[in-house]
Amino acid sequence: MNFDFTEDQQEIRATARDLLASRSTWERVRGHAEAGAQDEALYTELGGLGWPGIAVAEEHGGQGLGMVEFVILLEALGEACAAVPLRGTALAALFVEHAGSPGQQAQWLPGLASGELRGALGTWADGVGELVPDAVGADIVVLLDTDGGASLVPAADASIEPVASIDPTRRYARVSVAEGGGVELLTSDTSEALRRAEVGVAAGLVGVSQRALDMTVAFVKERKQFGVPIGSFQAVGHKAAQMLFDTEGARSATLFGAWAADADTDQLPLGAAMAKAAASAGGRTTTAAAIQLHGGIGFTWEADLHWLYKRAQLDAVFLGGPATHRARISALSAERVVAATR
Amino acid sequence: MDLTFDATEAQFRDELRDWLSTNGPGPEPEGEDEQYAWRRDWQRKLHDGGWAGVHWPVEYGGRGATMVESAIFYEELARSGHPLPANVLGLLLGGPTLMVWGTPEQKDRYLNPILSAEEIWCQGFSEPEAGSDFAAVKTRAVEQADGSFLVTGQKVWTSGAQYSKWCMLVARTDFDAAKHKGLTYFLMDMDQPEVQVRPLKQITGEAEFNELFIEDARIPAENVIGGVGNGWKVALTTLMNERAGLAFGLQVRLRVMLDELTEIAASSGQIEDPRVADTLGELHLRCEILRLTAYRGLTATMKYGQPGPEGSLTKWMWSETNQMLTQFAADVVGPEALTMGTKWSYELLRARGNTIEGGTTEILKNIVAERVLGLPKAR
Repeated sequence: MNFDFTEDQQEIRATARDLLASRSTWERVRGHAEAGAQDEALYTELGGLGWPGIAVAEEHGGQGLGMVEFVILLEALGEACAAVPLRGTALAALFVEHAGSPGQQAQWLPGLASGELRGALGTWADGVGELVPDAVGADIVVLLDTDGGASLVPAADASIEPVASIDPTRRYARVSVAEGGGVELLTSDTSEALRRAEVGVAAGLVGVSQRALDMTVAFVKERKQFGVPIGSFQAVGHKAAQMLFDTEGARSATLFGAWAADADTDQLPLGAAMAKAAASAGGRTTTAAAIQLHGGIGFTWEADLHWLYKRAQLDAVFLGGPATHRARISALSAERVVAATR
Repeated sequence: MDLTFDATEAQFRDELRDWLSTNGPGPEPEGEDEQYAWRRDWQRKLHDGGWAGVHWPVEYGGRGATMVESAIFYEELARSGHPLPANVLGLLLGGPTLMVWGTPEQKDRYLNPILSAEEIWCQGFSEPEAGSDFAAVKTRAVEQADGSFLVTGQKVWTSGAQYSKWCMLVARTDFDAAKHKGLTYFLMDMDQPEVQVRPLKQITGEAEFNELFIEDARIPAENVIGGVGNGWKVALTTLMNERAGLAFGLQVRLRVMLDELTEIAASSGQIEDPRVADTLGELHLRCEILRLTAYRGLTATMKYGQPGPEGSLTKWMWSETNQMLTQFAADVVGPEALTMGTKWSYELLRARGNTIEGGTTEILKNIVAERVLGLPKAR
């Protein structure tokens, strides 16, 4: 039993957070979000460092590391609210690697792993994906059916129309198959790829929660009302404590999901549902609390909290919201209990 | 990162599981005194099997188990359905406090009878006017010419006092010093007429706790623990152990009850109701997060000597989840859950104490805000 990162993982985490702290400042995030653009320079740099392929096997041009390393990077990207399409590329690669044919893997994985190709992951119904993150500029879009099937749609065959979601730190699009365009099905079962993707999205939300907490703690120590820092009021301190509670709980669940993906895939369905349920609910509550504890300043555009709040809103529903995943936890737990009593 | 037990830990668990499956306390008798005697016998059995002081160092008669093995012990004990040993306060609080602060003579004299349940310990910290504000204790200990102390005051929430030989008593010895500085930690002999024990009937109808009325009770000088005026520090050692020890057993108890509730919801078809399924999902989520967060804290403590920010959260998580679970049972179980004498009704009522005992949730939030988040001291 050792529920902590290895030294290598701690090193990756520290390096990733340091890099993003200097490259993805609020000034840069704001600039790109307001311009409706992605941070191309940062994306290129992260691609050069191998981030999109961290969990892709070495034979496909990736780093060959695990889901724990994968969530370390996605958490750091969430914490920085980085305006890069890296998650889309990494999630698309998960599906190609875990559910694609050898031909599909050979065709797409090396490019996705190096970041030279861009990917996106979304859901669609009746041939339309209404709100697909990172789809603008993607070379390949993975679209999930409601029944578990998944399709690969190369950009050349797709119609990708940008949509302004409330979160401009990512570029969203409405995706459908263009006239005369083709769709390739992913040949294997997609459930394990989807579970991994849920854990990855949860990790980004944990990062968002952590940033909301850190900004709030810094603020309530400084901001004075009635002659004292507002952090000395229990009404404020207890709400901040609840933010830590929600953040750390979601972190425990997300690390469990990542560990299960690497070491015990029998527990991955439960781990992924737990991660997504806890991190989605936590992302919503912590970013809302951050705005509340900043008072009027928190409601302004320039306070930058709204980027976190907006990202949490979109990520919380992406691949299923808290209620969807609680229902899965309930069903999996009932299955286990009934099996044990038989 | 490895969330499984390694070979040594798994062997420890299997050996313990095996022992617990062939050794138990037998059927629980009727009556409070009989039940206490039954738990005392159970502790003797644990002691004879070498399982009483699992986390105690070998030099003090314990098993010298690692922190993970100690967690496994409480998990497996809870899973077996067997009760905690009678002298749980001595084992978890008194013994470890003595190991830190006791003189060699004190360790020699007191540790072994704790393990064997020959001498039961109770905790005399809280007072009617010193609950969360523990440093406000008013019980007075006045030094006599012969070096002994005469103690007068009142203590409350003293569980097991009627069965105890020794009380971990915190009293004020310096009346002019600042609040925290005038306290001393004593071991008080409960076998004296100057100490009166009165049962305190609680909302479940039973008296798990007592009030102590102390009037000129005598404590010899050699029963001071950690030096006169040092009581605050010694008491903190006790309180730290209070928050760390039981989490793993409580977490498993929660899991066992939740699985039972899930079985009822599944077999009755209530789980088809999305509202029921949603609450069950949330409870399973919280229960698992509690287990995982407790292990994160344990790993941090083993690696860095203290838990990380997550370590302050487990008692808060557990108590709120237990209240949510026992409340939900009133919906799922039906009338039985609200009928006196049933497990569910008892748990529903008993759970109200969880967010108060061992540090109220409000105090825990203050601790998180001040010590973990570094916010200014609360007002």
